[in-house]
Amino acid sequence: MIDLEEVSREYRRGADRVLALDRVSLHVPRGRFVALMGPSGSGKSTLLNILAGLDRPSSGGVRVADTDLGRLSDEDLARFRASHIGFVFQFFNLIPVLDARANVELPLLLTRLGRAERRERAETALRIVGLQERARHAPGELSGGEQQRVAIARAIVSDPEIVVADEPTGDLDAKNAADTLELLRELRLAFDKTVVMVTHDPRGREYVDQVFELDKGVLQPGSDGSDTGVT
Amino acid sequence: MKFLPLIWRNLTRNKLRSLLTAGAIALAVALVCLLRTMPEGMDRMLNEFASDNRINVHHRAGLVYSLPYVYLRRVSALPGVEASASMTWFGGVFDEDEGVTFPNFAIEPERVAAVWPDWEVAPEALADFERLRNGALVGESTLKRYGWQPGDLVTLKGTVFPLDLEFRIVGEIPGSTPYFLLQREYLDQALRGLGSPNGLDFLGTIWLRVPDPDRVDPLMQTIDGMFRNSDAPTASETEKSYFQNFFSLLEGFLTVVLIVTGLVALCIVFIAANTASLAVRERLREIAVLRALGFGRRLVFGTLVAEAALLAAAAGAAGAGAAFGLTQWLRSAGDQVPDLGPLGGFIVSRAILVEGLFLALFVGMLAGVVPSFGAARRRVAQTLREVF
Repeated sequence: MIDLEEVSREYRRGADRVLALDRVSLHVPRGRFVALMGPSGSGKSTLLNILAGLDRPSSGGVRVADTDLGRLSDEDLARFRASHIGFVFQFFNLIPVLDARANVELPLLLTRLGRAERRERAETALRIVGLQERARHAPGELSGGEQQRVAIARAIVSDPEIVVADEPTGDLDAKNAADTLELLRELRLAFDKTVVMVTHDPRGREYVDQVFELDKGVLQPGSDGSDTGVT
Repeated sequence: MKFLPLIWRNLTRNKLRSLLTAGAIALAVALVCLLRTMPEGMDRMLNEFASDNRINVHHRAGLVYSLPYVYLRRVSALPGVEASASMTWFGGVFDEDEGVTFPNFAIEPERVAAVWPDWEVAPEALADFERLRNGALVGESTLKRYGWQPGDLVTLKGTVFPLDLEFRIVGEIPGSTPYFLLQREYLDQALRGLGSPNGLDFLGTIWLRVPDPDRVDPLMQTIDGMFRNSDAPTASETEKSYFQNFFSLLEGFLTVVLIVTGLVALCIVFIAANTASLAVRERLREIAVLRALGFGRRLVFGTLVAEAALLAAAAGAAGAGAAFGLTQWLRSAGDQVPDLGPLGGFIVSRAILVEGLFLALFVGMLAGVVPSFGAARRRVAQTLREVF
């Protein structure tokens, strides 16, 4: 499902060059829930951005859902994200002027679906995350946990094969963090989604199939996709 | 169309800001629409009271210089001239604080009907004007402005001649003509009474009615030729050209007004662009999220520009509509409120309305394009790193 081959990413910061990723190779099969872990500045988010098609590597190959992302133009990459990737962010990032259902419906605006079907699918997604009763509430009227569930509904509404989550529990209390992790695991178990999560949260290990550890842009030995034994 | 709710929600997220921006655009569009009515309005006014078959003869050096009164007799005798009259500026004021507020001229009363048959002055009023030495024929708009009635006694204080004269209003000149006409003989005798031995032996301008339009140009050349080598050479022109010269004095002013209007419109572009920049900057995170979800650059750019254009179009429609409504009101109120003067002749036409709308759209798009372009072309990962 996700194959990264010798991927490096270099940034310029003034006159300096910062190597965020150093020849990282990674393979995530379909239907796995994996975590990218490591200290701040280790390159986790950069790796997530690259495999999700939000950023391009300085060198190396990225193949996701049988597509070589390096060959896609920016507009094609946007189309690829719309049809293959669902996003969950740390701060939920819902559009404040839209209610929960309209937020979930957003990715469907990029499809050919009619209004009625878009609404039906958005309501189904909200039902999956247990928020069908809150469909007409604005983000400001929802708790942090509820907002993150709306964000997860938005991530799955277009039925992408891959869901990427960048610190999805970073802004939640313990209870809501556990609920969110459980929901992400549900996506993998019930809907066969491939879920890639960046997290600092050590509790994340309890929910994922595999953990990849990064430090200073290098994938750590022993974190080559070994199974955590969790299902 | 499916993005319209999203555009609308963004547009109304900060209602006060949107309202103020729209207000600024609407005001600029209304201002431009109103100013655009001026050239056409002036033409309309001119056509209303100026004719091509009346000739005005005045001193070549300018209207403030007088001509010998004998000129009237000489030009009246020329073939093709059906009627003639002189007009001499009295320059009387009714209220000294206001100054001269209506044109007042000494004229030969028996010649008015023949030179200006289009004024349609009532025969009884003309008869009274000839009969009463202190009679005055007054334009309808001036009568309404001061609430005067035929039969009223009015005193005008002379600003050119050192005398105050009392007049009895004998009738009105219908329409928008603001003239106050007095008997030439009345002024002549008043001057003689002051000790001036020659009295009023000069005139300001001569008006000639020439029914045959083909005779107008040759006649003007003949008249100017007659007096070319005299102490008081003349310049002749048609009535339309004469009044156009008055308006041409306003043209410079009009150009300044139009330049200022253009600058105001430019300021509005900057204000709207600044507002659009603020709105976009506040939403960089949301824009990055939309891009992450798969919204392409062109789509994000399009929705942002559409947002600015929609606001500007609504504001433009409001501004153009307000200008249209105002001119319509002026037109209908003009009859009842003489102080409005000729403002009723300034009409926002359909073409001006369309121009106003396009101006608003142009302002909106220009204001929206730069910040939208910048926001849409930012790299998603970079923006996510910066704002999170």
